[in-house]
Amino acid sequence: MLLQERRFDPVTPATMAQYGRSLLEFASREQECELQRIDVSLPGIDLRIRIPDSPLADAARTAFAAGDGLPGASRLEVEVSVLHTGALQAPAPSSWGREPYKPHEISKLLGEAGLQGSLFHDLRFWQFYDLEAHRGVQLMKGPEAFPPWEPGAPLRAFLHWAYAAQGRRMTHAGCLGLDGRGVLLAGAGGAGKSGTVLAGILNGLSSVGDDYVLVDMSQDAVSAHPVYSTLKQDAKGMERLGLDRLLGPRNLNWQGKVQFRASEIGALVPADGLEVAAVLLPRTGSPRTTIRPATRAEALLALAPSAVYQMPGERESGFRFFSRLVARLPVFHLDLGPDPKEVAGTIGAFIAGGSA
Amino acid sequence: MSPLQNLHDLSVPYAVANQDIAFESFDGDVVVVDLGNGKYYSFSDGGSAVWESLMAGVAPAELVTTSSFGGEIPAFLATICDYGLLVPRPEVAPVPLSASLADQVSRAKEPPDVSVFDDMADLFVADPIHDVEEPEGWPAVKRA
Repeated sequence: MLLQERRFDPVTPATMAQYGRSLLEFASREQECELQRIDVSLPGIDLRIRIPDSPLADAARTAFAAGDGLPGASRLEVEVSVLHTGALQAPAPSSWGREPYKPHEISKLLGEAGLQGSLFHDLRFWQFYDLEAHRGVQLMKGPEAFPPWEPGAPLRAFLHWAYAAQGRRMTHAGCLGLDGRGVLLAGAGGAGKSGTVLAGILNGLSSVGDDYVLVDMSQDAVSAHPVYSTLKQDAKGMERLGLDRLLGPRNLNWQGKVQFRASEIGALVPADGLEVAAVLLPRTGSPRTTIRPATRAEALLALAPSAVYQMPGERESGFRFFSRLVARLPVFHLDLGPDPKEVAGTIGAFIAGGSA
Repeated sequence: MSPLQNLHDLSVPYAVANQDIAFESFDGDVVVVDLGNGKYYSFSDGGSAVWESLMAGVAPAELVTTSSFGGEIPAFLATICDYGLLVPRPEVAPVPLSASLADQVSRAKEPPDVSVFDDMADLFVADPIHDVEEPEGWPAVKRA
């Protein structure tokens, strides 16, 4: 019986792996010609996206950073099929049952079945990933039935699972660099990551991302690599940075922010990544920009929670990864002044001076 | 101190309550995370010293006699047990306090204390990635 003809009972923790396997099997049977194919070269991963013509397909063509730089690393082929009801006879997404959806428990159960997965309940937005076959499937109720953050960082969960299996980590942090060396900017939303990254980009520093970067610790050095090419800033920050004049009127994204590509502001994006020399913990509200030592526990508390819990699954490995990261790197508070040039100058001098 | 806090046996070792309790120590600063509910915990220097000693298998009673804040250790132990971080292990023999840990405990400048970071709540309040009206879509227990 075809999957689209079967009626699934509401999914429970006990049946989620079975449901995921059935969706993965369905996706694997789809004819290649019925889905568009988008190939993306990412650090260490050749990502093949199979997707119907849709807004997410448009996002997938533009949101990823160009380049495959992760020197010395073997490359992994990952395939993700994006399906939605009404296209290609895809089934309607099943609902969740009455049992509590406890992400960590579900992750452990899926892991025992060789899978990872997640559900965005309100939209019945399912994602499953086969850890051995490196294949994923995303099922939606319709072509636009995705969480609002998805176009800015499409298929983020699949990349998280694929990189975590390699011992690398999609990291919720910004990054700035100079001459191949750089700093990670870690902290919760509102701490000043994106504004600091933009201040740096506009004043001569390079960057591999303002929100999500790939961090690799498999080599002697810690390195950060670009995955997404999107940057964002709220209206106040756009004005402060002069980006409103540079980019002109733009629609706001779901966060009420302007989203644009790094290339639109001439950002220097090192394709081979940056050697990370320090972790900075930004905080706005100071009269001038200063850098002062922080404790490793403070850095872990700033870096790990959002990085671990924003991504479904792999919580313990994430905690251990970021623990190792802050143990390897010096960590500092970055008290941010209001002048973007002064912010960039302070960080640039910090990196160039070898303090980082 | 609540009457219940006095019920914790100070003569037996303690261990993490389950496999979801993970911790790291950085230069004597301890960070603990409950992977099941997303809460993080950080400790004062006195709390970190007590935690590391307990993780080494030392009975709290020995710490009470070693620390200058010994009188506050039973309440601290009760608090972290109430948070679901530790459980008593009466079936295991306690380990004597090592010289290095005794030094760490006796040198602590602050009484044992713990700060809780309710990451789930914080994410929805402070992190724009999660600043949405559909909290059940992200790591959260689905309400029945």
